[in-house]
Amino acid sequence: MIGARHPMDMIRSEAMQLVQFIIPIESSHLTVSYLGELGLVQFRDLNANKNLFQRTHANQIKRCGEMGRKLRFFKDHMAKAGILPSVLSEMSQMTQAHTDFDELEAILSELEDDLIRVNANNLKLLRTYNEHLEYMLVIQKVGEFLYAKQNLTAALRSQIHDTDRSEMITDPSKQIKLGFVSGLIPKEKTMAFERTLFRATRGNMFLKQAAVENLVTDPVSGDKIAKNVFVAFYSGERAKEKIIKICDSFGANRYPHADDLERRREIIEEVSRKISELKVTVDVGLQHRENLLKHINDQFAQWNLLVKKEKSVYHILNMFSFDVTKKCLVAEGWSPIFASNQIQSILQKATIDSNSQIGSIFQVLHTKESPPTYFHTNKFTMAFQEIVDAYGVAKYQEINPAVYTIITFPFLFAVMFGDWGHGICLLLITLYFIVREKKLSSQKLGDITEMIFGGRYVILMMALSSIYTGLIYNEFFSVPFDLFGKTAYACSDTSCINAYTQGLTKVRQTYSFGVDPQWHGSRTELPFLNSLKMKMSILLGVTQMNLGIILSYFNGNFFKNNLNIWHQFVPQMIFLNSLFGYLSILIIVKWCTGSKADLYHVMIYMFLNPTDELGENQLFIGQKILQVILLLFAVVSVPWMLFPKPFLLKRQHQARHQRRDFAMETLFTVDNDTIELNPDHDSNSDKEFEFSEVFVHQLIHTIEFVLGAVSNTASYLRLWALSLAHSELSSVFYDKVLILAWGYKNVFIIIIGIIIFLFATIGVLLVMETLSAFLHALRLHWVEFQNKFYEGDGYKFAPFSFALLSEGGDD
Amino acid sequence: MGFFVTSLIFLLVGVIAAIFVRLCCNRGPSTNLLHLTLVITAIICCWMMWAIVYLAQLKPLIVPILNEGD
Repeated sequence: MIGARHPMDMIRSEAMQLVQFIIPIESSHLTVSYLGELGLVQFRDLNANKNLFQRTHANQIKRCGEMGRKLRFFKDHMAKAGILPSVLSEMSQMTQAHTDFDELEAILSELEDDLIRVNANNLKLLRTYNEHLEYMLVIQKVGEFLYAKQNLTAALRSQIHDTDRSEMITDPSKQIKLGFVSGLIPKEKTMAFERTLFRATRGNMFLKQAAVENLVTDPVSGDKIAKNVFVAFYSGERAKEKIIKICDSFGANRYPHADDLERRREIIEEVSRKISELKVTVDVGLQHRENLLKHINDQFAQWNLLVKKEKSVYHILNMFSFDVTKKCLVAEGWSPIFASNQIQSILQKATIDSNSQIGSIFQVLHTKESPPTYFHTNKFTMAFQEIVDAYGVAKYQEINPAVYTIITFPFLFAVMFGDWGHGICLLLITLYFIVREKKLSSQKLGDITEMIFGGRYVILMMALSSIYTGLIYNEFFSVPFDLFGKTAYACSDTSCINAYTQGLTKVRQTYSFGVDPQWHGSRTELPFLNSLKMKMSILLGVTQMNLGIILSYFNGNFFKNNLNIWHQFVPQMIFLNSLFGYLSILIIVKWCTGSKADLYHVMIYMFLNPTDELGENQLFIGQKILQVILLLFAVVSVPWMLFPKPFLLKRQHQARHQRRDFAMETLFTVDNDTIELNPDHDSNSDKEFEFSEVFVHQLIHTIEFVLGAVSNTASYLRLWALSLAHSELSSVFYDKVLILAWGYKNVFIIIIGIIIFLFATIGVLLVMETLSAFLHALRLHWVEFQNKFYEGDGYKFAPFSFALLSEGGDD
Repeated sequence: MGFFVTSLIFLLVGVIAAIFVRLCCNRGPSTNLLHLTLVITAIICCWMMWAIVYLAQLKPLIVPILNEGD
């Protein structure tokens, strides 16, 4: 049924077709853009043998890369300046004018140059400003030394006198003139500085230092460091040169100083003036930069998106091939059949918008290749579909297990999790995520939060189911309630002495909804619950496996595969139900009649001694005969699964071979609407038929099913196991932590008890048990349910879509 | 409340849920069929769980024996 959708949404993949576009070059860019916005075509790469640099649009992609780099540069600077990135809202996307690609390139280069220039200027200004600040400090500090200079000179003169009288005598003409070098040096280098100076000048220098109280911004590095002001007094030219060199090597900034008081005051005034001027200029410069960045920020998100879109469009254009005339591009791709009309109207729109004279051609190609699988999901069903896809993407048009998984997966989870108190906790957590859906979907969340957010609807279903099964198991943090009437059990007589030895008796009607509250805390609680839960697991398991086999019938029906229906579905149903279906019926009969029959015994002796008398294990009349018949059915169905199919397949193959040889002799006819692809595609159906291979495949399938019937049924017992673990853990935390703490009557111990109970419940029961039950329910679906019918060897439809682009990370 | 009465109640709840879902989210025949399938599956699962627990307690072979100190 070409064009018609399936009777039920999501049950099978949408019908897909291989389409071919022939697009004139002038409208190609727009066509691809519009198709990207539609997001329903998966293009095939027709130039697979060329590498990235040989393709037509390699240059444009390089330009896009350049623009991407500039945008990243802007982003870094904006982040450094502390401007928060603007979020692209839907409104701004629609209302902005469509900026041309070339225009954008020019704008971006201009902005980049601007930004670099502004940054450089700012840096220079800032440096000059800091230098002036340091100069000011030096002047102030050194001034203090000046008053002591006179005494110093005298002291030095006398020192030199004492140490070297001979020098003085031999050279009286030499005038000792003291000079000094003043500046700032980082505090940590002062010791080394002093030592080096001392050594270099052979002790003929005097260094005076004073620490600066506040941290000083170093002009070169821009960091705030602790510095000392120093004055180095020296005599002689050579000493001066040495000192200057040493200062430079230590990174000490030297500033000149005037002796004269007048001069000094003038300098102070000038420097202060310069400082205030520079401050204003620096501030203006920073403001200018901030404005520039803000201006960029407004448009950043949409520019980014535009560049990404253009890059992807060019990648797609690279996949197209030129046709013979070199004037048109040929494109091939997969697309759903229901989108045909939309695609054709898009092609027309692109032709009109690009003022092209020639229209594009859209035609459907026939091929035997298997199309990709596409399920149309919404935000609720998407998570369940992803769970199924994680195991294997459905083969094209086979039944999608996700339809049933939506209900059965949370249900099986809840069977293992059953506690309505914990269910309510899960519900509250997931409601938080759902209520804040819109806000959280645009934010960037951490890895684990992202996973929980993505699965919020799954967890919602799990929570609701857990509340239901919790009410049935009658456990609220392991405490039972009698919400649904009175308990059915009471003492057998008024004195109640038997209650502790033989137990209570059932005096009223069965408790109407769920497990009777009287069971909790009794000595026979575990034997009863174990029996109940194990039998429940078997019943649920047999039901789900039957559903799986029935789905294989529908698959056989759809693909017109009668072989599968008669020689796989029928014997499988017979085998599973004559053994485990029969067991389920026995369970129900035993419950209804209250018989004391031992079902293990019945099942095992059905195989070992089918003709034996049942005696006290008889549940109904005619049971022995029925068991013999069912055993025969099971035994017959095994060779039925194994032998007919390979032989029939062989016969089919031979019949097809004969037909092909006959058809080869006639000429090919070409249809008007569709074009037959070259005969190579037909050869897929004519591959070699190895009988032994087919037989072995069928043998493996049969053995897997027969042994799997036992092992899968037993596998469902994990429903019992995890449910038992959950209820025991919950019971222990309640009885041995909360109640124990409560018994002490000491507030301190009670509070500690409550805290431990809280952490244990959250950590062990809400987190660990949830993950555990999630995993096991998943396994039951992936293996025990799906191996009855699912092939899962398809590939997913990955359309070219702009929506997926903006979701993906930054390139 | 007997077994059959409560089973009937489950059936009624299922029918009401199906009608409710059809009324509130009517989105075309294929989607409606999907919704119906989901409702039917859910009701069957819920009913089965309840029925199993109910039947198991109908004619019990074990009875609660109280613990000393209860």
